[in-house]
Amino acid sequence: MKFKIGIDVGGTFTDFLLTGDDGESEIYKVLSTPDDPSIATLKGISEMAEKRELSLKDFLQQVSTIVHGTTVTTNATLTYSGVKTGLLTTSGVRDALEMRRGIREEQYNNRYENARPVVERYLRLPVNERIDAQGEIVTALDIEDAKQKIENLKAEKVEAVAVCFMNSFANHNHEELVEKLLKEELPDCYLSISSSLLPSIRFYDRISTTALNAYVGPILKRYLDALIRKLEAEEFAGVLLIMTSNGGVVAPQNAIDKAASTLLSGPAGGPVAGVLYVGAQGYKDCITVDMGGTSFDAAVIKDKKPSMTTVGEINRLRCALPMLNVVTIGAGGGSIGWIDESGLLRMGPQSAGSKPGPACYDLGGTEPTCTDADLVLGYLEPGYFAGGRIKLDKAKAEKAISEKIAKPLNYDLATAAAGMYNIINVNMAAAVREVAVKEGSDPRDFPMVVAGGAGPNHSCMIAAELEIPLMIIPRESSIFCAAGMLMSDLQHDYVKSYITRLDQAESKQFLKLFAEMENEGRKVLQSEGINDAKISTIYALDLRYMGQYHEVKVEIPAADIKNCNWDKIAATFHPIHNRLYGYSLEDEKTPVELINLRLNCIGKTEKPVFSQRQFAGENPDQAFKKYRQAFIPGENIFKEIPVFDALKLEFGNRLKGPAILEQVNTTAFITPDYSVMVDKFGSYTVYNKNLEDEIVKKIMP
Amino acid sequence: MSQTIDKVLVSILRRRFKAITDEMSIALAQTTRSPILCEAKDFVTGLYDAEGRMLEQTENLPILAFSLAPVCKYIIDYYGDNIYPGDVIFHNDVFSMGNQNNDVAVFKPIFHNDTLVGWAACKGHQADIGGAVQGGYNPNATEVWQEALRIPPIKVYEKGELRKDVWDLIFANIRLPIVAEDMKAEIGSCVVGERGLQAIIERYGIEVFNLHKEYLFDSTEKMMRAEIKTIPAGTYKGESTVFFDGKNPGSTYKIRVTIKVLENGIHFDYSGTDAQTPGFVNGTYSSSASATILTFLQMVNPDIPHNEGMIRPIEIEIPEGTILNARYPAATTYGNHLCPNNADAIMRALSDVIPDRVTAEWNELLCALTTGIDPRKNQAYVDIGFMGLKGGSGAIKGCDGYDHIGMIDASGGILDQDYEMFEQQTPHLLLKHEYITDSAGAGEWRGGLGVETQFTIGSDNTRVVTFGDGDQEPAFGARGGKCGTLNTIKLIYPDGKEYLTTTKDLIEGVGKGTIFFQQAGGGGGYGNPLKRPAEKVLKDVENGVITADKARSDYGVSIDPENMVINETETLNLRRQGDQ
Repeated sequence: MKFKIGIDVGGTFTDFLLTGDDGESEIYKVLSTPDDPSIATLKGISEMAEKRELSLKDFLQQVSTIVHGTTVTTNATLTYSGVKTGLLTTSGVRDALEMRRGIREEQYNNRYENARPVVERYLRLPVNERIDAQGEIVTALDIEDAKQKIENLKAEKVEAVAVCFMNSFANHNHEELVEKLLKEELPDCYLSISSSLLPSIRFYDRISTTALNAYVGPILKRYLDALIRKLEAEEFAGVLLIMTSNGGVVAPQNAIDKAASTLLSGPAGGPVAGVLYVGAQGYKDCITVDMGGTSFDAAVIKDKKPSMTTVGEINRLRCALPMLNVVTIGAGGGSIGWIDESGLLRMGPQSAGSKPGPACYDLGGTEPTCTDADLVLGYLEPGYFAGGRIKLDKAKAEKAISEKIAKPLNYDLATAAAGMYNIINVNMAAAVREVAVKEGSDPRDFPMVVAGGAGPNHSCMIAAELEIPLMIIPRESSIFCAAGMLMSDLQHDYVKSYITRLDQAESKQFLKLFAEMENEGRKVLQSEGINDAKISTIYALDLRYMGQYHEVKVEIPAADIKNCNWDKIAATFHPIHNRLYGYSLEDEKTPVELINLRLNCIGKTEKPVFSQRQFAGENPDQAFKKYRQAFIPGENIFKEIPVFDALKLEFGNRLKGPAILEQVNTTAFITPDYSVMVDKFGSYTVYNKNLEDEIVKKIMP
Repeated sequence: MSQTIDKVLVSILRRRFKAITDEMSIALAQTTRSPILCEAKDFVTGLYDAEGRMLEQTENLPILAFSLAPVCKYIIDYYGDNIYPGDVIFHNDVFSMGNQNNDVAVFKPIFHNDTLVGWAACKGHQADIGGAVQGGYNPNATEVWQEALRIPPIKVYEKGELRKDVWDLIFANIRLPIVAEDMKAEIGSCVVGERGLQAIIERYGIEVFNLHKEYLFDSTEKMMRAEIKTIPAGTYKGESTVFFDGKNPGSTYKIRVTIKVLENGIHFDYSGTDAQTPGFVNGTYSSSASATILTFLQMVNPDIPHNEGMIRPIEIEIPEGTILNARYPAATTYGNHLCPNNADAIMRALSDVIPDRVTAEWNELLCALTTGIDPRKNQAYVDIGFMGLKGGSGAIKGCDGYDHIGMIDASGGILDQDYEMFEQQTPHLLLKHEYITDSAGAGEWRGGLGVETQFTIGSDNTRVVTFGDGDQEPAFGARGGKCGTLNTIKLIYPDGKEYLTTTKDLIEGVGKGTIFFQQAGGGGGYGNPLKRPAEKVLKDVENGVITADKARSDYGVSIDPENMVINETETLNLRRQGDQ
């Protein structure tokens, strides 16, 4: 037997998905250990071994692959606990990192402070050199000056150095010279060189990404080195892969070299998993939503590809490496309900977190939260929350809601709780709408994949608000991201700027830049054990109309790239511009401008197989648990509704809302507008009743 | 549905209105082409009810906070019953409630079962609107026709039909073809808003919508009145100075405001403000009232929804014929930029009344445009010097000023050009863009830092236009804080000669190799600088944004600049002396 393990380290729990080559899978969850996340990681694997009555060594012998999503770089950035970092940049522009182009996100708030830079000004040192926009040297690098500045950083005992010079995307000569000096003078320092990390135009994007990379690099290196040592001590001989922000995986050393590419390592598994679950039913597009304790994430997937961004931010700091485009808002089980000055009810973004947590946790929290409302409304079972690990105190929830919400609004308890439930749902729906609209999509066209402990309890209402007719709640929805990790391929993204009118681009230069990227990509993938047959490449260009400011990333067929077929490339661009922005300038013959060349190198990994379930017929009675009083939105009354043990529902089982599906780690509330059918992978397909015939036909064997 | 208020539905409607105006805003940002729209986001999107009352809006720049609602009401009066489904109306006229000639609005009436139920509208700063000078900033203008094509309301679509003759007339009078494209984008944004509001009304019915909308206005009004109640009742006066009208060197104009805080409202009266100028340094009622509102909004809970209810308790009186409300047919393109001066007068009036909520003064705007032919491409370029104009904000109790934020009317909503994009889009070579040492006004909380910008001009026969203020009077400090530094723009010619520009200047024929030099000053400090914790002063000295000399003279902190250590004894002495 061979196993694969997906590991997602979260704020509260570390999730594991174990799959065997027989197609069976198991879920594990252990409490996270934030001081050294590798402790929880090893603990989870030990539990798997114990269950098989094997020693850790013997079990690890059977593990072929471990895919690991990590939050160490994310946390280091959020808490400013990266290393002491120096920055060398062109004389005259050292403040660009801190200025962030002069934005203040809250315009009416005069107490809103700027985001702290990851490199303080006294460690941002100017170097005499200058290259112009065309890559020509205006002022040659002053070697003595560079040496002096490196001496200064040495005296400050920095652990990492970032180098970012003006226009180095067009000529990296000066950065390379400085890199050489740094290697001689500071051999133990982590180095982050902008022209190798992100050789594309836009200085602020590049300097910010390069500095972030340096700031978290040594932290990731320390963590992964320790984890690898521990695994090697147990004679693990399989492959360890690290999840990156673009939804791909890479070998540990490559993750360390591009540490900033792991800033979204955790949530990146979600959209990848979304592709898997809707794919099972033949869909190519979907929206994934993930509602946890404090935050709600939403992402869009089109044609099996999660939407990506190169203008992502973490903690208000720009990271321009390609990352999945996930919108996050402060809405989760811990979100607090409150009455504003105008006397109206609001939810969040403040959260009670896990300590003190919702009032019903009885850990000292007195603020009414979303979880308290869910409990009062009957959607949660007091003795069965988080698999019974947390006992919920309904009286405490009632008290908090009565005092803080119902009394000031002069409402009864149920109406107040229902109000909280409604408002947080509308907030989440607005976030989904935002991410869809930014992509130029209508959310109604997309099935929604629902994840996170709190997600399935709210998803019917979010879907109703957005008029989304179809949802898929995976059986593994509570460890969704860990599942996505096992489905990810090795991926490396490369970019090079080449700014020219497209029809005046020089074929030689154009092809040379792509060849350089491709050689690098193949070399790296080979080092990760991928043979040529399993390597594929996706070509894209950043294009715009002459005179425009924003460019659009357009995927181009390989043949058009290799033939330098400018006309065909332009012909690909026009309709995409039209779809996104409502018009194209094809008829007016406005020239197209090329900005960046992008290459995505993919190494296919072996995926786990999930066994399909036996068709068990329509009747769900074997899973029926009992009836419970629950509040029915729209009708605004409590009703006795059936509760099912979700894990006992089988392929083909059907039921109608209102109903509750309970699992160890999550509960789903199905409103009267929706029905459920279980698909062959055991996922719960929740659909608007009008779609009955269509859905049933699709899911039936 | 019975005629009772569902308070939860009120909250939900408020959130939905906001989602719609945000969606309109995203659509506009993604589809426009002029950098001032797609990069600087100088536009506003909003929803209004059938009477033109604001339901919600997304103003990307605070100066646009009050620029659509009065026009909506004007248009409703103007057309009376003559409004049909499928109409699209343009408007920019500053003498019928417009705020700036270049800000061209689109209004689209929204119908439900043939009844007018509301309006979707947006307004964006267009790259050109005719007049004598491309882009509209014409310091030589003395009347509106030298600045712009006037568009009192006009229907470009009626009952869904394009009025091609009208469309062609308008765009025949505008230089740049992208303006027509950007106006199409504005119409698209209104369609997005129309669909959103129609969906809400279809879902809840018009009665429920109307009832809950009124409740939302009322509750917002209540919230605003509660905020006003926290300000001690009384009458407060403030005054500020506008320097140089663009025509008469050395000229100054006073803005005078009398603020009456009443039991249930606040009243801003600008009687006593100086008469309008002969040039384009004049406000319109809408631009000036917007400035008043945005300044006031920074002193109250930033969470108040932006709808009709928010404005109800606020009364603003600006006598016609003054610099803040010029009489027809004055030139007024500069009007939005009187906002810093207006804010200055309001802050001076209230700084002792609500000292916890008023900032020291912000650095005032001074902006430069460079235009010419890029010799690399033989193509025209226009650059708005965003990165150069952004000085520091004033400090507030408990918080330092924001470094390099820019004028208060944008409050950090306008971004710098990215340096490398700047060198692609213009032929210039950036030499420096850095914080200015010692530019922040000293205080227990210091002002925001100003910036210095230098670039080598890369085209011959370049035109440089400046507009703004702040070269005579630095941003003032509050409650014992010190003032910031001045704005400056100068041209350093290849032969070493220098030309110091005025704040409303037009310089033609500037040659390649000339260095453009600009300093945007720092903001004012708040509170006695001797009370600033010495470690914070040390940190600024370490970071080179304050010199050791300044630490000593302004803050009474003695620092050895070699070792970066505080001399405790001397500091104690300096601070003791300073207190006497």
